[in-house]
Amino acid sequence: MFALCDCNNFYASAERLFRPELNGLPIVVLSNNDGCVIARSEEAKACGIKMGDPEFLVRDLIKKFDIQVFSSNYVLYGDMSERVMHNLARWFPRLDVYSIDEAFGWLGGVSDLATYVPRIRKSVVRNSGIPVSIGVAPSKTLAKLANKLAKKNNGVMVLDTDEKITAAVHDFPVHDLWGVGRQYYKKFEELKIETAGQLRDMPEMWFKQHMTIIGQRMWNELWGRPAIPIDAVRESTKGVTVSRSFRNYIEQPDILAEAVTLYATRLAEKLRAQGLRCLYLQVFLYTNENREDHPQHFPSHTHKLLIASNNTSDLVKIAVTVSARLFKYGMKYRKAGVIATGLVPESELQLNIFSAHDGGKKDRVSEVLDKLNLAYGRGTLRMATEGYEKKWRLKHEFLSKGYTTRWTDIIKVK
Amino acid sequence: MIRSFEKRAEQKISGFQSPAADYLEGRLDIAEKLVVDPHTTFYFKMEGDAMRSFGIDAGDILVVDRSLKVCAGAVVIAFISGCFSCRMYMVIGGEAALRNDKGDTLEKDMSEISIWGVVTAICRGMLPAGLKQGRYRDVCTL
Repeated sequence: MFALCDCNNFYASAERLFRPELNGLPIVVLSNNDGCVIARSEEAKACGIKMGDPEFLVRDLIKKFDIQVFSSNYVLYGDMSERVMHNLARWFPRLDVYSIDEAFGWLGGVSDLATYVPRIRKSVVRNSGIPVSIGVAPSKTLAKLANKLAKKNNGVMVLDTDEKITAAVHDFPVHDLWGVGRQYYKKFEELKIETAGQLRDMPEMWFKQHMTIIGQRMWNELWGRPAIPIDAVRESTKGVTVSRSFRNYIEQPDILAEAVTLYATRLAEKLRAQGLRCLYLQVFLYTNENREDHPQHFPSHTHKLLIASNNTSDLVKIAVTVSARLFKYGMKYRKAGVIATGLVPESELQLNIFSAHDGGKKDRVSEVLDKLNLAYGRGTLRMATEGYEKKWRLKHEFLSKGYTTRWTDIIKVK
Repeated sequence: MIRSFEKRAEQKISGFQSPAADYLEGRLDIAEKLVVDPHTTFYFKMEGDAMRSFGIDAGDILVVDRSLKVCAGAVVIAFISGCFSCRMYMVIGGEAALRNDKGDTLEKDMSEISIWGVVTAICRGMLPAGLKQGRYRDVCTL
């Protein structure tokens, strides 16, 4: 049996844990740079706020219903996620963390699921403070479906018999099924398939023909025959990206260099954490395409490294040089990003016959950098081109504190 | 989160191999005694002297565990009328209540109150101002 454990309105719940006075009140969390709504409490959903709504469009609703607004505090969410996942992991022989707020657990050999699963939920909710829902079924696709039903059933739904599964898929909307993308909507519409039950009753051949191997897997999964293993190998990463909007427009090359330095630093850290080096580094800049009165410029350039690298000094140097070439005076840049492609494992370094390799030394410097920043906090040691003032940094006017990660931010009690 | 450093310094000796090399044990780490489970532990800071006679002073760091089930005699973090508070959990005549050290605020209406976690330990710096300097500036202070 598989379980899908999912945190309810995760970001909103994490904010509320440290602001209990907001229980029962509508709250929303905005994306980076306070752009769009990316999380809502149940009460905010009831106020008519939709996922992805731009902040300026719902400002009136926010005022009208007195909705509490938060900037996304990923430092907090990251730590709370780790707590939830560690608490979950104690209950499952295997746990596969699927995203920041979801994990698949394998419940092989557990009998009496009807009492075991509610116990998991109770313990994890109490220990982490985050409400979770758990759906259990013989396949991942059904577990995901059970999880959606759990949300309306005190947080637990166990589909352990054919009768329960048949009843569950019978009126489950096909659009909400895991793995059903937009590309199939039209096909389903033509065939008048509206529920997961109707889809399941289609012949296997139909899945093979119209939805390839993935469809065939889905057909099996819907019938309770697991086709996706617990540790389904994630597709190997093709590219790693760091890209962010600026707080205000950037119109000066030296300020741009500061931002790009930070992004390239982050990128190099990400690559090292995954044990990868990149052979290509792409840098791009965006102006604001929504402003017709601004001159527009969307330059991009991909630089090929002679020897694949993941050390901070190499990548920053390239990113800064490339961005300086892309930059044009008179443009108001809104966003920049760096993308690493041509990824190779660290262990398979191919040298270049025409170029000396001095990466070893820089790699060691980067290693020290990583260790220091882990021990003393991110950004303790950084490239000087990152600058000090960082006026371009993301807007997060409604940022909550690092309640669990910074001593100065822990809650004071009376 | 507790940052774990390498507990056992590897002894790199250029001359004679230390006779202690075979007997090295990890050095004591106070975090082991203070935090039972880092994934259920949070920290708060005491302000004011509402809990002085229970031994909690202003400025103390409170180690709070969410996994424990509260019972009489436990010091808890509770959310009372819009504020996080530190109180003693008691059972009086079969009814749960929260009190501070003087007993002058006794919260009996538990339906209005949520218990957030149980205080498992406190950390207090003992240095006088004159010694709170340099590296020692932040001993048990935020």
